[in-house]
Amino acid sequence: MKGEMHLAWSTDGEILKRAEYGGAVTSLLKFALEYKWVDAVLAVKARNGKRYGCTPVLITNPEKVIETSGSLHCASPNIARYIKEYLDGALYLKIAVTCKPCDAMAIIELAKRNQIKLDNLLLIGINCTGTLIPNRTKRMIKEEFGVDPDDVVREDIEEDKLTITLKDGTEKVKNLDELEKKGYGRRENCRRCEVNIPTMADISCGKWGVMDEKETFIEVFSDKGSDLIEESIKAGYIKVEQPDNIALKTRKRKKEDAIKRAKKWQRRDFTTLKKITLNERLNYWFGQFNQCIKCFGCIDVCPICYCEDCYLEADRDLVTGGEVPPDVLFPMIRIAHVMDSCVNCGQCQDVCPMEIPLSQLTFMLNRELAKIFKYKPGVDVNAIPPLRAPGTEEELRTVVLNSLAR
Amino acid sequence: MDNNGIATDKFEPRIIGFLCNWCAYAGADLAGVSRIQYPPTLRVIRVMCSGRVSDIIMLSAFAAGADGVLVAGCHLGDCHYQKGNLLARRRVVGLKRLLEAVGIDGDRLRLEWIGASEGAKLAETVTNFTRTIKKLGPSPFRLKYDKR
Ligand code: SF4
Ligand code: SF4
Ligand code: SF4
Ligand code: FES
Repeated sequence: MKGEMHLAWSTDGEILKRAEYGGAVTSLLKFALEYKWVDAVLAVKARNGKRYGCTPVLITNPEKVIETSGSLHCASPNIARYIKEYLDGALYLKIAVTCKPCDAMAIIELAKRNQIKLDNLLLIGINCTGTLIPNRTKRMIKEEFGVDPDDVVREDIEEDKLTITLKDGTEKVKNLDELEKKGYGRRENCRRCEVNIPTMADISCGKWGVMDEKETFIEVFSDKGSDLIEESIKAGYIKVEQPDNIALKTRKRKKEDAIKRAKKWQRRDFTTLKKITLNERLNYWFGQFNQCIKCFGCIDVCPICYCEDCYLEADRDLVTGGEVPPDVLFPMIRIAHVMDSCVNCGQCQDVCPMEIPLSQLTFMLNRELAKIFKYKPGVDVNAIPPLRAPGTEEELRTVVLNSLAR
Repeated sequence: MDNNGIATDKFEPRIIGFLCNWCAYAGADLAGVSRIQYPPTLRVIRVMCSGRVSDIIMLSAFAAGADGVLVAGCHLGDCHYQKGNLLARRRVVGLKRLLEAVGIDGDRLRLEWIGASEGAKLAETVTNFTRTIKKLGPSPFRLKYDKR
């Protein structure tokens, strides 16, 4: 049933040994594969066993699922684009995908644009309060925690703390806010992210509401998700128990706190951009845009940039082939195209070699447009992006056009 | 007075107007035939529907040196392609936010519904828009852009 909640854990000894929170996710994936619910599992694993890099893996052998167990905080492979570009948008393959909230939202946005066949996906949502940039994190671990990054076997973000666990079992804790003030900690978009539980997935799995580390808290959002849980219990892959009131309350409080922290970052990020005068904004942004080297990185990573034939490609009457630097319009046009649907995945900003704060601007605009058009990107696969839709009669009466400028 | 390097009293706004063939363009024609006076600031580009005016077209008009961009289409319910004017409307709302965010006054972009029989409304729109743009001065987009 939709809305049901479980505390779940794996029954598999091997998985339990490797898992961090009872291994329920790994067992569900294994079940889905062994019982032919899906043809493949798409998850993320450490690259060469190192936790500071990770790669997406497509798994068809159930025995290999275990390689993806445990959480990785560094880097965030572009799962949505991966499905679109390399797996034919899941047109011919049924896939169980583990996805963070921004991955899930990006998948929904691409499904809206007919780039991903949502019916063929089983979205195993993973709760998330932030990811980290690999090399910056290594530096932070060296400089702030005073340990060798290769000694770290686990990171954990809990409320305003970042905890790392070392090979020998010792734990070190630092205040996240202070790390972030120094430019370390979570990626900038993650700090302002307020969707920590992927309610648009079939189920979400996380640790909020978990009392010890032996289980995973699962919330169900669709019938597909509900069946998955039921069948994998029947097949003996996982065991569940009902969370008690304390668990539910803890989870709720942690969720609300995370949203509060995100809103605070939004205010911090956006007010600086908004309180300066028009002229200052112009100097700032044109200064930024004028650095663009036309690497196409932002277009290649953005899940909303789905066009077969991008307007910004050479010689489509807009961008002259071979001309560098490009026009200031170049980054602006992409932003105009994606701002109504931006899911704040932060990837455009991560890849920009000129460090233009692209996702900061795009997501700020997205919040404004979301308010005007009452539209939430990445939630409802049937909701058309507002700048691509004619709008409703009712809105015509209420949204006054030319005064909307401010 | 100095205004981005151009004396205000000498400043003649350049307005690029995208006028729908079926309504606003005919309205402009009528204004001409009826000899209604309005400032010579408008450069008209005829489009088949206000829905044709994409964000790229509007931004390119600014980049090409427009101090103001006018999009004029059929009244709501009158679009010959059903929903073109509604789409234009949302697009303008969105683009205004982007312009404002990067430092260009949203009032430089204007959307109006002007019917084929409304020559006077066209003249009035251009007169008012010209006044607004005069107050705002030359487009900083253009100046920034030229200097690049
Ligand atoms: S604009 Fe940037 S942050 Fe927004 S969806 Fe695209 S890549 Fe992600
Ligand atoms: S910049 Fe615009 S045209 Fe190019 S891929 Fe993105 S949305 Fe499509
Ligand atoms: S990633 Fe940065 S430099 Fe590359 S095209 Fe986008 S804005 Fe320009
Ligand atoms: S035909 Fe005039 S606005 Fe569409």
